[in-house]
Amino acid sequence: MADEEEDVPFEEDAEDAGGGLDGGQGKRKRLFSKELRCMMYGFGDDQNPYTESVDILEDLVIEFITEMTHKAMSIGRQGRVQVEDIVFLIRKDPRKFARVKDLLTMNEELKRARKAFDEANYGS
Amino acid sequence: MGHGRGAEAEAADGEEPALQPCAAKKVKLELKERKEKKQKVDEDEIQKMQILVSSFSEEQLNRYEMYRRSAFPKAAIKRLIQSITGTSVSQNVVIAMSGISKVFVGEVVEEALDVCEKWGELPPLQPKHMREAVRRLKSRGQIPNSKYKKIIFH
Repeated sequence: MADEEEDVPFEEDAEDAGGGLDGGQGKRKRLFSKELRCMMYGFGDDQNPYTESVDILEDLVIEFITEMTHKAMSIGRQGRVQVEDIVFLIRKDPRKFARVKDLLTMNEELKRARKAFDEANYGS
Repeated sequence: MGHGRGAEAEAADGEEPALQPCAAKKVKLELKERKEKKQKVDEDEIQKMQILVSSFSEEQLNRYEMYRRSAFPKAAIKRLIQSITGTSVSQNVVIAMSGISKVFVGEVVEEALDVCEKWGELPPLQPKHMREAVRRLKSRGQIPNSKYKKIIFH
């Protein structure tokens, strides 16, 4: 692997040099390192991703969720986050929109199936 | 109150539906056909996926399993959202937010892999790939950013 000098994997460097990213969030305890590693591998990275890259991704995800949450709070019912708001916010992003629709549909089906199962058991 | 309702109900009963019966039937048929067509397309998709997955190497199977199964821990996502709103959020909100966050991760990783390849380098992805990926996604408006414009050094 060639040019790695410029980005020698030290956490401080990764954050300071991260022009567009909030370097200051590095101090927070890591919330989803394990899960992100699996995700990165699933999406095509090496089976053992670099910790620094995982950390950058975590910061990005937290920023993403924070942005979405703030936006959702400012539309629809103020100060609250509702599913309809999220769906509205991503309506122009075909992938995310389709995914949310799928997830919510599947969840409804699961709930119905579970309910039917419970009722059947209660009957016997 | 009771009088008004009774009169309205009577009037409504006497009316014909807005569409003629045969036109209404036509619409119903069209919708049914469209639904069946979509189901067929979905079934084809499922079949194709099965053929594809059955031809995977062990490494590909491993990766595919991670791709499907990896997920953000619901509790952590819920805590994060609630720490921002200060109120509680429904389970559906957590499900939706976790879902689109995963899609988001996929977009960044795939873009970073493109960058990595373009620069003639190999995985594992390095911070510089991630940062360049973010730059590109931002310029395509795929990353939400409602803060003030930051000057990014190239």
